[in-house]
Formats: sequence, C-alpha cells, structure tokens
Amino acid sequence: MNTVTPSRRLGQGVVIGAVLIVISIAALVASFQIDKDPGGGWGARIFPLAGSGALSIVGLLELRSGQIASVNAPTKVNPSIWALLILALGYVWLISKIGYLLSTGLVAPLALWVFGIRRPIALLLAALLCPAIYHLVFFELLGVFPPYGKWFDLLDILQGY
Amino acid sequence: MEIFVALGAVATDPILMLWVFAAAIIGMVVGAIPGLTASAAIAMLLPLTFYMEPLVALAFLYVIGKSGRYGGSIAAILFNTPGTAASAATQLDGYPLAQQGKASKAMKVATLSSVIGDYTGEILLIVGVGFIAAIALRLGPPELFAIYFAAFVVIGSVIGKSITRGLASAALGVLINMIGIDPISSEERFTFGSFDLTNGISLVPLMIGIFVLGEVFSQLEARGNKVEIVDESDADAKARNRLTWPEFRPCVPHVIRSSFIGSFIGVLPGMGSSIAAFVAYGEGKRRAKDADQWGTGALEGVAAQEAANNAVSGPSMAPLLTLGIPGSTIGAILVGVFLIHGIQIGPTLFITSRELVFNLFACGLIGIAMYGLVGYFGASFVGRFITKIPTDILYPIVFLTSFVAAYASRGNLFDVYVMVAAGFAGWLMKKYDFNAAAFVISFVLAGGAEETFRQSLLLSDAGLLIFVTRPVALAFLVIGIAALFFRARSLSAAAKEASLKDA
Repeated sequence: MNTVTPSRRLGQGVVIGAVLIVISIAALVASFQIDKDPGGGWGARIFPLAGSGALSIVGLLELRSGQIASVNAPTKVNPSIWALLILALGYVWLISKIGYLLSTGLVAPLALWVFGIRRPIALLLAALLCPAIYHLVFFELLGVFPPYGKWFDLLDILQGY
Repeated sequence: MEIFVALGAVATDPILMLWVFAAAIIGMVVGAIPGLTASAAIAMLLPLTFYMEPLVALAFLYVIGKSGRYGGSIAAILFNTPGTAASAATQLDGYPLAQQGKASKAMKVATLSSVIGDYTGEILLIVGVGFIAAIALRLGPPELFAIYFAAFVVIGSVIGKSITRGLASAALGVLINMIGIDPISSEERFTFGSFDLTNGISLVPLMIGIFVLGEVFSQLEARGNKVEIVDESDADAKARNRLTWPEFRPCVPHVIRSSFIGSFIGVLPGMGSSIAAFVAYGEGKRRAKDADQWGTGALEGVAAQEAANNAVSGPSMAPLLTLGIPGSTIGAILVGVFLIHGIQIGPTLFITSRELVFNLFACGLIGIAMYGLVGYFGASFVGRFITKIPTDILYPIVFLTSFVAAYASRGNLFDVYVMVAAGFAGWLMKKYDFNAAAFVISFVLAGGAEETFRQSLLLSDAGLLIFVTRPVALAFLVIGIAALFFRARSLSAAAKEASLKDA
C-alpha cells in the first residue's frame, strides 16, 4: 500500500494566503485609522474596509486551498533578480543625489552587465551614449524638467553654473 | 455618416497619418517580440504622448494596441513563442505550418483574418457605441456601481489560472487606489504621514512598472532561452507560400464566426483577447469538417483564432468610451491619456468630444489597413528582424527607458520609486499566477466605483437595499455573482478531471 508522506515545506498557496492575510490585516487596521466624515459617517472608510475585507476572505480561501494541495513549494528566486532590484532602487537614489546624467552613465553599463554583456567597449559606449540620448530626447526635445542631484549635478557644469 | 467625414479629415492630415503608420509598425514589432506586449509599448510610450495633440496621442496608442495584438501571431508562427497571451492559440497550428515550410502562408492567413476580424469589431463599435452611450446616459449611480461590481468580479475571477489570486489582484488594485486624499471628505487614507502619498499613486508609473519593468525582471529570469526562427529559405519556398483563394476559402466561415465571437467577448469588460481567441478556436474546431487536422497545421485554426483575437480590439473600447470602464489593460492606459488631455470619458464624451471620438475610430480603420498591408507583405521580414535584436541589449535599454518614462509623467522622483515597486510587484504577480490585468483595471475602476457607491447611498433611504430594488442594478450584481460561480465550477471540474487522469 502506498503511503503519502506530507511535505515539511509549506505549500505555495499557504505562504501566499498567509501573506495576503497579513496585508489585509494591516489594511484593515489602517482603514480604521481613517477619520470619520465631518458628519460622523463612514464614507471615506467604506471602500478601504471593503477592499481589506475582500482581501482577507480571499487570503483565507487561498490558505485553505494551499493546505489541501500537496504540491507547489515556494519557487526559488534567481539571484540576478535581486541584483536588478537593488540596481533599480540604487538608480533612483543616485538620480536624486548626483542627477540624471552621471547616474545613468553609471547604471547603464551595470544593467548590461546584469544581462550578461561583458564586452568593455559595449559597456563604455552604454555609459556615454545612454545618458546623452535620453537627455536629448526627454529633457531637450520633449522639454521635461530634468531631475537635479542634491549633492552634485553634471548639468550645472555643462550649463556653466 | 460622421465616420466618413472623420475618415476624410484623418486621411488629409499627413502628420496624423504618419503617426498612425508609425504606430502600425511599432505595435507589430513590439507585439512580435516574445515577452513584450502592446500594453508594455503603450505604457512606455505614454509619456511621449503628453506632448502631442489629444487625437494624435490617442490614435498613436490605439493603433499600437491593434497592431500589437496582430504582431503576437508573428512570434507564435515563426518562433513557437506567442508574442502575446492571445496568440497562444495561433501557435497550435501556426508553428506546425512553419515546420512544414509554410510560415509565410500561415502569416498571410493570420494577417487577412486579423484585418477582417479587426474591421468587423471596429465597424460594430462605430455602429453600436452611440446606442450604448445613449443607454448609459440613463443609468444612475446604483446601476453604474452594479456594473463596476460585475466588472471587478468578472475581471478578477474569469482571467487567469486562479480565482482567489485573480480576486486578490482586484482587491489589491482597489486598496492601492485608495491611497491619498478622499476626494469627497478630504480625509487622508493610507498615507502613513507621507506627503508624497497624499497625492495618491499615479496610473502612469504603476502601468510602466507592471507592464515594462515587470517584464524586464521576467526576461532576466528567462535569460538564455534563445529565440530561433524556422528556416524557409529553400528554392521552392516562394511557390509553397503563395496563398491562393481555394486555400483561403475554407477559412472564411471561421473568420466570420470568430469575428463575431471576438466582438461579443470584447464588449465584456476584462474578458480580453486571449479568452476570445480560445473560445473561437474551440468553436471553430467543434464545427470543422476536418477537426482532427486542427493542431497539426490547419490554416483554418490560424484564421479562427486570429480573427477573434483582433475583433476584440474595437468593441473593448465600448465600455471605456460609454461608461468609463476600461475593458482591457490597453483601455486602462487610454484612460490616463484621456485624463491627461482633460477629456472626461463616459456617456457625455459623445456630447462633448464627438468629433474626436469619430476621428479616433477613423484612425483605427486606417491603422488596420496599414498593419494589414505591412503584415501581408513584410511579416517574414519583421520576424527575421526580431531575431537580430539582441535581447541582452534590448532589455537593459527597456529598463533604462522605464525610469525616464516614469519620471517624465509628472517630473517627480517619487513616481520612479512607485514604478520600481510596481515593477517588482508585477514580476511577483506573473511568477505566482496573480492577475496583473485585474490589478490595473481594478485600480482604474476603484475611483468611479467608490464615487457611484457613495452617491447611491446618499440617494437611498434604505441603505444598501437600493442596489436590490433597482432591476438593472440587481441584474448586474447577479451577473457578477453568476460569473464567479460558473468560473469556480468550471475550474473545480477541470481539477477533478486532472486528478482522475493522474490516478
């Protein structure tokens, strides 16, 4: 007779259900912190509460279906995904500190590196061309006001300030 | 009659025609790149359109949406990788045809079917949208809320593999929309003391994050899966790939039927091209004389699904233009364009901006002809061009573009942080079978749904009972619940069947 050994790892549905429930509880708490209407009504709270409530019910259903299903342990995440996420967050932070041109010049070759490009010429070209092209298209042709760096900005020097 | 005037106006505007032509090419190329969709292209190009005239901006994005739907078939036939979810059914017959050395013939059938389907949908939209708008004008807040409710439930439960995760995506979309200041009472909601959050989460960076940066994450994970084109460069390839009328004639009934199936499904918010394509393919196979040939390289199979896939495009605009309810992700992005140009969508659109709407339809009709011509004679070239694009360079460029595009929407670095967060969330959603389309559409719908819900309560002496006592409202509530019930039942039946097969 075959016996089924229960998996020690949590099923994907259980983990996702638990995460949804945690998010919904946080949203429920935050919904109750919304001030009542000047007339004392719950107007501004109704939809946040409805959304949080729906999410918690769906989370419970997901948790239950995850307990029934015997498969689907959480899948592993490729380390390069974390590298790209850190690069993305670092890029925005860098823009705010050293402006668009320099930060794009630094991040463009790194993005290519994450995608497996190793040729020095390609990386160097990316560092030079990407900031120039994006700057020309968005900040010169389209007239978008560029994000200036708080610490230093190459644009200040280029514009003679 | 107005459409003929609009066609004349558009055809005599060379700049507009140039943008429509550019959109036809861009949409086709982007749709054919495995991984990138028309939604991604539209989200990324959206900030560029802020600086255009409203009609040019809308026409450009609308035609990208149309040709992008068609472009997915090129990847499905040539690379055995659907460029869009909707063209997955094309793969079933398109790729076997390509393996038989008939890729160009399959693409010609796909092009003709797409064009006929798209024209059917567009003409039905033009004829019917005025009637829908007239009816929509008579609907009060309770009825509108019930329609929103049905849309939430249908969008959350019908698309995707999991009902619970689809509904969770819809609920998350609603909650994210609540961030900011309540437009009625001016109370802060979910701002946690952050000044940036008081302005709410903007649609554009959210879209760019979910559809563009999210795809970059996915492509990084899938890196190494090389796209290879089926070779058809032998001596008699040209003769073998010539499409004759006797070959296309059996496809015609399938094209006509699928065009109407696609148009009908397109009107329903959230149902989308992929459902239309698979329903039409299933129905075509059921009625086919040689059903056993389907899936092994039947031209009729390609025709049936491509006609339905593209017929969705026009009618999916009907709920957007008449009720302000986007029927698809492309519709959700177009909501942003309308708002940025100060155009209020909904039933009054046909009173305030009637000329603009008909000019947009005219651009759609011309755009279909343009991508049809380019596709019929140049789809193989587009396919070969795509294999030459190095994805290792393409996706880093897409990555960098997403940042500047998100910033350009409001000139605000906070939006770029939102885009990064949305990008990572979009990748997680895709990885764990959540429904990004339901998330985005619910985000767009939530504001209108809340407004109509609260207006209904103000109108009502009996509280929530107002939704039950008004027949139209009740009908839509029942439709929403019934859709959820039937979807749960069909999934449960499918799961039982799968477990019986495993046993």
